[in-house]
Amino acid sequence: MRNRLRVLAFDLVAPAAAVAALIYVGIALGWPLWWVSACSVLCLLVVEGMLFNFVLARRDSVTVGTDDDGPGLRLAVVGTATTALVAAVVVGYTQWTLPDRALRDDTAEVTGIASSVAEASATFTPQSPTSSIDRATGMMSPASSERFRNEFTTVARDLASRNVSAQASTVSAGVEAIGPEVASVAVILRGTQSSPGKPADTAVLALRVALSNSDGRWVVEDVSPIHSR
Amino acid sequence: MPDDEQEPQRDGVLSVFSGYGIVSAVVAVVAVAAAVLAGMIWTQHRQDSDELTYRTQVLQAAADWTGVLINMNKDTVETDLNTLHEGTVGQLNSDFETIVEPYRKLVRTLQARTTGQIDSVALESFHHNRPDAQGAPPQPELSAFSARTDTVTVVATSVSENAGTDKPQTVRWTLRLDVSDVDGKLLISRLEPIR
Repeated sequence: MRNRLRVLAFDLVAPAAAVAALIYVGIALGWPLWWVSACSVLCLLVVEGMLFNFVLARRDSVTVGTDDDGPGLRLAVVGTATTALVAAVVVGYTQWTLPDRALRDDTAEVTGIASSVAEASATFTPQSPTSSIDRATGMMSPASSERFRNEFTTVARDLASRNVSAQASTVSAGVEAIGPEVASVAVILRGTQSSPGKPADTAVLALRVALSNSDGRWVVEDVSPIHSR
Repeated sequence: MPDDEQEPQRDGVLSVFSGYGIVSAVVAVVAVAAAVLAGMIWTQHRQDSDELTYRTQVLQAAADWTGVLINMNKDTVETDLNTLHEGTVGQLNSDFETIVEPYRKLVRTLQARTTGQIDSVALESFHHNRPDAQGAPPQPELSAFSARTDTVTVVATSVSENAGTDKPQTVRWTLRLDVSDVDGKLLISRLEPIR
């Protein structure tokens, strides 16, 4: 009974676990060429070891698992299998768990940023013409904030001269597409424009906010209307 | 004799497990823990990637449905409405005729030839109701046969060439659709134009 358990654990399960761990690492890495070759060599070594063990077992009727004079070799077998499994966990964690978690966090973060930039870009108060522009450009990359500022300064001057104020609130925001580096968010706003002596004018605006991730921080690259015409 | 003293006393558990054996057992426990962890990481990743695939399908379903809605012509209006009706469930399905009646009338009276284009589909992450308006009531009967419902915002533009006028008319659509999973089929359970 004891010998059978030892054969099962040391001669069969341990090498099988090592091979499984090597394949797991391959799946997690997406089988790059270097791992295909490394994994083949390592698996071959394991299989060779098993065959060698089997042949010797037929000759000496004692295996690595049941050899009372070779506890060190047994420890080495278990240690190797454990190393492979731990490596599989580490690779799986870094290749799968961390990116999945980052994607979830990024999704929440980019919708928040996009929503506030979109609101700021559709908001205007004649008393402080640049406040909302400043608020929007604070979340933009340097190049796009420059462009945004140029575009909106003339508009702001025009609106200020007519004493128009505009307010916008987000109705709905959702991610169109997201990756580790870039994201595109659709924001639907309800904008109200009012000027003294005229009834307020409400309109639904749909804006696409393009973001990019630079050094772990999401910045807005572009804000554009979604409707194609 | 000194030789006797060097012979370790082997009894009880120690007779079965040598020092190497104990270390092996500890390492084996680590190995089992690692295997369990690897399994958990794998299942979690599978769930996450299934979720992404599902979201893509939800967006696709919403886009397909809206594509029919914004491309209705006077000749195809009846078949299109049938297609749309088949793709709905719940409140929208039972009240379908009343909800789409304005659209049908519009297409009929304008004798319109409409070509629509979907500009954006996004899975809604957050939503604010207008302070003065109540949100659409939840549909408790829907949860009985639908596993989950996601809200999708669709932005589309359609151009109608009306029989009467020369100038083509542009219609801008901003819609919120609820997409429900009913036995693996993705059906639209609510249509809300944002105004």
